[in-house]
Amino acid sequence: MTTATTTPAERPLPSPRTLVDGGTRTVRRHPLLLVLALMVLVFQLTTGSFLDTGNLRGIATDAATLAIVAVPLALLVISGYLDLSVGSTLALGGLVAGWLAGQQHQSPVVAVLGAVVVGAAVGAVNGILCCYLGLSAFIVTLGMLTAVRGLAQQLFPLPLSSFGPGFAWLGGSRIAGLDAPVVIAALVLVAGALFLAVTPAGRHVFAIGVNREAAYLSGINVRRTPFTLFVVTGVAAALAGAIKASVLDSVVAGTSGAGFELTVLTAVLLGGVALTGGSGSVFGVLLGVLFLGCLQNGLTLLSVPTFWQQMAQGTALVAGAALAYFGPRLNR
Amino acid sequence: MTEPNLRIRGLSKSFGGVKALDGVDLTVPAGQVHALLGHNGAGKSTLIKCLGGAFPPDAGTIEVGGTRHTRLSPRESIAAGVAIIFQTLSVVDSLTVAENIFLGQEWTRHGRIHRRAQEEVAAGLLQRVAASCSPRDRVGELPMGQRQLVEIAKALSRSASVLVLDEPTAALSGAESAALAERVEDLRAQGLAVVYVTHLLAEVERLADAVTVLRDGRVTHHAAVSGQTRRELVDAIVGATTPSAGHEPPLLRRHTAGTPGPYRLTVDGLSGPGFGPVDLRVAEGETVGLYGLIGSGRTRILETLFGRRRASAGTVRLGERTIRAHRPADALAAGIALVPADRRRQGLFPLLSAQDNALLPTVRPLSRHGVRALGAERRIFGALAEAVGLRPARPRLPASAFSGGNQQKLVLGRWINEARDVDVLLLDEPTQGVDVGARQEIYRVVSSLAAHRGTAVLFASSDPEEIVALADRCLIVSSGRVVGELTGTDLSEAALLSAIHDADDSRPTPNAPKPATAPDGKPDNPPPPASKGAA
Repeated sequence: MTTATTTPAERPLPSPRTLVDGGTRTVRRHPLLLVLALMVLVFQLTTGSFLDTGNLRGIATDAATLAIVAVPLALLVISGYLDLSVGSTLALGGLVAGWLAGQQHQSPVVAVLGAVVVGAAVGAVNGILCCYLGLSAFIVTLGMLTAVRGLAQQLFPLPLSSFGPGFAWLGGSRIAGLDAPVVIAALVLVAGALFLAVTPAGRHVFAIGVNREAAYLSGINVRRTPFTLFVVTGVAAALAGAIKASVLDSVVAGTSGAGFELTVLTAVLLGGVALTGGSGSVFGVLLGVLFLGCLQNGLTLLSVPTFWQQMAQGTALVAGAALAYFGPRLNR
Repeated sequence: MTEPNLRIRGLSKSFGGVKALDGVDLTVPAGQVHALLGHNGAGKSTLIKCLGGAFPPDAGTIEVGGTRHTRLSPRESIAAGVAIIFQTLSVVDSLTVAENIFLGQEWTRHGRIHRRAQEEVAAGLLQRVAASCSPRDRVGELPMGQRQLVEIAKALSRSASVLVLDEPTAALSGAESAALAERVEDLRAQGLAVVYVTHLLAEVERLADAVTVLRDGRVTHHAAVSGQTRRELVDAIVGATTPSAGHEPPLLRRHTAGTPGPYRLTVDGLSGPGFGPVDLRVAEGETVGLYGLIGSGRTRILETLFGRRRASAGTVRLGERTIRAHRPADALAAGIALVPADRRRQGLFPLLSAQDNALLPTVRPLSRHGVRALGAERRIFGALAEAVGLRPARPRLPASAFSGGNQQKLVLGRWINEARDVDVLLLDEPTQGVDVGARQEIYRVVSSLAAHRGTAVLFASSDPEEIVALADRCLIVSSGRVVGELTGTDLSEAALLSAIHDADDSRPTPNAPKPATAPDGKPDNPPPPASKGAA
């Protein structure tokens, strides 16, 4: 990093006191951290197997696809936009990748590239309509949610499966002891955090989300940056679809990724990203993703029926919103 | 005479130690139009807001129709019979005229709105204010003057006895203004007490029975209008009985020594919707003011130069180079920056830190290989904060936590920091919503920019005091044209006030060629004065 002026000499080692202070500040900014820790504790005590390596690995793999889409979506929401079409894009990406690998017998690289191109195309359509033509992102992407799903079902009316051992690498291989999807998700998280912290475009994302008019009058390109984020979100959704297809070794056009857009959005909002734009962090998004992953996994381990799980997930979002609203008031 | 409709006694109101109103008395009997004059910040709006219940006064009483109040809530104010028509109208565009008039007091029958009865009554009220619209028209489709009449009709429907009009002609055309004047006379004849807030002395002479002038929260002048001379009113507003040639403005002005620099900004025949053609020149290191009332086109001129609006004709030259700004980014690339008037909507990023606010356009130019130069950003912000006197000088504090004046310093700082230097700085109402102390600091920063960096500064203001404090030269703008120019010792608050009122007298017939100081209507700006004192 080119933080050239801060040499290690200028930055003394943090004393234990500042570490504690930093810790409380992080918790105050992300109360979800505390809730997450508490939840892990409760699940471990009630199930006895929650913290087993195998279970954690399962949580991480599930959370990975969520994180890969949640990060670019969070950036999009910070810049004042929204993408509801990611669930359908995920399905289409998975279908295209699976079709290329399984039926066209292409290499896994080509399969993934195919998914990426499809995702970029969906994202570009969203981006052109929302950023350049100025249509409402909510309406455009709600329409695309249905339209892309319809396209997927038209192109692939039958379920696809058996994509071959090469393609299974994407979801199943291990890199440095971690599953490939987890490694990809980690890379996306780090890239997203760095983008916000150290790139000029990261500042522009915040500025556009807070006050688009003022950003425009400051000479910022208020169209290109969010357009790019739409494309990246589409690519991420399609990539997540390919990973899911690889893990499951099958894709069904009608059901793959159905409702995924709302789960991702829930994670993003739980992570403290403001739906009105202009504020949020990648660390918060990571917490949101882990929270949903742990909640789902723990409740499944406890054999809680699915509809109870859904109720828990929804309640968590509303409780999170209430906490974000009333929390700062209670502190004073 | 019977009990007056409105009697205000000893009204005082402070905001954080600053006395906005200090023992103000105002009495308006029924059937009188009382003009309220004064500079921006003299206390007129505070007075109106106390009357409307927006602020509780600290001391004093408000009597409406014989009932004495020490404070009013908005609801009590309406119930007491006070109706205030603000500059920004409070009609709902998507509703019809009748629905607007009865908004919040709908007539219902069996739980349903009695539309026909409402429309009948509305028609009667509209007739009383001689509005030409129908009760069923959508307000959003009406011209400004009609919307205002709808609002007045709404006030009448609540049987108001005191009508306050806050600069009612600011957004109206000449013909609409003349029509409104007739309506005000009708309402006076119907026995209303009218408080008429204005900047225009011509309107006072035409309409008012009595006049009160506020300055720094105090009544400096109060008299019946008959026998008033314009001179006396101007003196009361400006606050100096003899504004002599040696009248020194509150801030030390820069005295350009020797010959002026070459023209930085040359504008010829610039036109667009609502203004033009405009010619103007700003020399290197010169500060030129655009003085005009709201709606005079000063903001449009600045926004067009900045590429925020499209010009329909004309050329803009920066030095020798002709530039075409289709977007603000084009203007910025050429070296022109704008600090907009509406800080909340167009300038500030409230959630973002002070540093992000001040350095937003600087972050990318400073970056290397797509990575921000965080150290350089911190250093430049520190230097900027010191140069503009930012308080508190905390880079990570969100901009929303700063005072109006310090927020303005952050927005201004975008274009004047070490890494970002502009050739031409456009400022629109540079100290709107800025406290007195910060105002002086902003003047100092702008003056030193012009003096030390040779920046050409063009600023628009409706405050004569500000023009005198900041400008080397002032162009008077009315109806979208430059109608006059004041330089050197001629540039005084009194001269500005009379110039704008003369200009306004010609407003009902905007095409009539009788501008104040430029008989041909196209002032050919002389080169800037060599020295202030020499003119």
